[in-house]
Amino acid sequence: MKVEKPSRYIGMEQNMVQKNPDEVDVSFAFSFPDVYEVGMSHLGMHILYNLINNESRYSCERVFAPWVDMEAQMRKESIPLFTIESKEEVKNFDFLGFTLQYEMSYTNILNILDLSGIPIHSRDRGGEFPLVIAGGPCAYNPEPLWEFIDLFVIGEGEEVTLDLIKLYDKHKKKGYDKREFLEEAQATMEGIYVPSLYDVNYNEDGTIRDRFPLVSGLPETISKRMIRDLDSMFSPEKMLVPYMETVHDRISMELFRGCTHGCRFCQAGMIYRPIREKSVDRLMELAEKLVDSTGYENISLSSLSSCDYSQLQLLISSLMDRFEDKKVGVSLPSLRLDSVSIDILKEIEKVRKTGLTFAPEAGSQRLRDVINKGVDEEDLVNAVGYAFKEGWSRIKLYFMIGLPTETEDDVLGIKELAYLVKDLFFNRPPEERKGNFSVTASASCFVPKPFTPFQWHGQDTIEEFQAKINLVKGSIKDKKVTFNYHDPRVSYLEAIVARGDRKTSKVIYKAWEKGCRFDGWSEHFKYETWLEAMDELGIDGSFYANRNREFSENLPWDFINPGPSKKYLQNEYTKAIKGETTRDCRLGCTGCGIQDCAMWGVFN
Amino acid sequence: MILRTRFKKIGYLKYLSHLDLVRLFTRTFSKAGIPIKFSEGFNPHPKFSIGNPLPLGTESLAEYMDVELAEVIKPEIFMERMNKALPEGIQLVDCRLIEKGPSLTSIIAWSHYDIRFVSEQSGEAIDVEGALSRWNKLSEVYISKKKKKGKKKVERQLDILPLIGNLTYKGMDSDGFHIISGLLKSGESGNLKPIELIEAMDRELELNIDLDMVMIKRLEVFADEDGEIKELV
Repeated sequence: MKVEKPSRYIGMEQNMVQKNPDEVDVSFAFSFPDVYEVGMSHLGMHILYNLINNESRYSCERVFAPWVDMEAQMRKESIPLFTIESKEEVKNFDFLGFTLQYEMSYTNILNILDLSGIPIHSRDRGGEFPLVIAGGPCAYNPEPLWEFIDLFVIGEGEEVTLDLIKLYDKHKKKGYDKREFLEEAQATMEGIYVPSLYDVNYNEDGTIRDRFPLVSGLPETISKRMIRDLDSMFSPEKMLVPYMETVHDRISMELFRGCTHGCRFCQAGMIYRPIREKSVDRLMELAEKLVDSTGYENISLSSLSSCDYSQLQLLISSLMDRFEDKKVGVSLPSLRLDSVSIDILKEIEKVRKTGLTFAPEAGSQRLRDVINKGVDEEDLVNAVGYAFKEGWSRIKLYFMIGLPTETEDDVLGIKELAYLVKDLFFNRPPEERKGNFSVTASASCFVPKPFTPFQWHGQDTIEEFQAKINLVKGSIKDKKVTFNYHDPRVSYLEAIVARGDRKTSKVIYKAWEKGCRFDGWSEHFKYETWLEAMDELGIDGSFYANRNREFSENLPWDFINPGPSKKYLQNEYTKAIKGETTRDCRLGCTGCGIQDCAMWGVFN
Repeated sequence: MILRTRFKKIGYLKYLSHLDLVRLFTRTFSKAGIPIKFSEGFNPHPKFSIGNPLPLGTESLAEYMDVELAEVIKPEIFMERMNKALPEGIQLVDCRLIEKGPSLTSIIAWSHYDIRFVSEQSGEAIDVEGALSRWNKLSEVYISKKKKKGKKKVERQLDILPLIGNLTYKGMDSDGFHIISGLLKSGESGNLKPIELIEAMDRELELNIDLDMVMIKRLEVFADEDGEIKELV
């Protein structure tokens, strides 16, 4: 066998849909630009797959990034990239749609286009090639991919994807012309951005002077798409069940969208506002169908902060009652530091007490106030103490380093918290210590993201990150305490691309040309190659990553309207630097600027 | 109560690994509502065992699985429910109740395969049948087998002729593939993978085989009772 894990490429999973091409008017190839088992764990893929295939005349098939061994074989044998369902060449589809979940997957997008025999640049593709579109959270700053993607979808995809396919269907029936289609989509549909219909002027310092439509009548600001009512929205009743083990091998059910905490580093918390919940009745109905159609034995209740779901207790007890005899378990992927969360966890994890994960994000209270992470040390002490009492013994703590205003003391706070957790365990009477104790503190290097209050903040340099890492590493001298950290070089590149502009697309292209792909996989990450690419283009990475930006600067993504206003983000940044917190907007509106926010309907 | 079932694994699903297959059956029992017995303990798992793992990429018409039941279920109903929930390429073809006895892995000793391959020199098919009669006159054929010993990989030389029951040439199919049918040792008391046989034949007989294009299908498995080859009960 020349490729490992061949079941990545065979399909035939339960609930796969394969349609007769003669009965399909518009075909859509959906691509998650990473390897199969990562892509299959993404809920959005299951949603769009079923959404499109639910329409009798439209079809959706999948394509993932072939792993490097498969790519080598395909290039050697000149085999073009094909979809999983029909094994049809990607090139022959009407649409090729990418989901943008992570900046470091962008070179894979170029590689997928190339392996498919599709010209990489949008300008080189005529109507005979698929229309290449992209959406997902990273599409909120579309500019770094502007040369490659014909059309971006900004915001939630459930409605706009079908609208787009319907419009394409209409054009296809009367004779499809790419430019004509793109202009009509841009002019008439909300949440659509066609980069080739706009141009940008720069100042001498490299910042943006202005941007303007190339065709009159096109909108200057692009507003995100958002579904108002999650109960009536399309939700999948089936999920593809992979044969091979994937990252999330279970049913995933979305409880709500949005988040009210207002953590200042979190892009999802800003762009998915306002909060909108699904009802318990609807979730029970979906759970029933999903369990029946998949045979899975675990339901994961997903959202940005699942313990916030207003009916969580009711939902969990209903699920446990309903599925007890089927041995179906329930799991919560994200936990808050409070005893309510642990109580719920205790109920759902009746048998096995595996590790518990908490995310204080910063080591000191001062810094947690800066990032508006509304937890304090007391919460941690209570939650961890309670967890130990209930029999958990392995604790993981997530932190970020390089947060705005961070000092050495803040960084050392990571060690302090980890040691505190250890003491909490060993200060218990010996007869009450259950299990084999360990605590792991993991630090990621902070990447400022667009549409967060920290979008103006200059990232730490690699050297600064490294110094902070060494500081923590050197301070931990206990076998029970482990310290892990992310490669700051990856975070640096991520920061360049995340807050990049149109010029960044050249870097991505050059890096890909020089052999970069799977940059998110440490074994394939080629830092030197990325640096070479920037050097050759005369592009300074620190301009994008490390530079503090002025409030007055015209940011590359300013033309997108994500809901919260720029003014609100500025206020939040100013408050952050002063260490002032902002309350959870469940407790009262904080004025983020969203029009007719749905919050009040849910909680008041 | 044990159900002994025979199933096939064909088409693209030959690429499922043994582990994937175990996962598939675990889910299928639950989905098909089979009253399977669960192991005791903190992490209960359904009690079933698949005999003799098939190499990845090999098709089979003769895979066996023993399923331990918590309640009686008619074999026909078991098969019907399972087959509805299983993919097309993996379907049960036979099923019967047996008494608890030795495990499948300990019973299965021989596998019968069809092996298809291309063997040609400058576009001309090589006389594989003639080569095979030369092979049958050999007194020993050594291959090197890699074995993991702790962290180290150890290579040892192994004479494979005692692992071969018989080999016959069955002719050429319409795609120009030679077909050899072979009965090979398969299980705890000795094991020869068809691809190892083909590699050895390629080397010893200079057959110029395209080793990327060898297609293997297991047709039947047998027990060995005191040197006598017998069908599975």
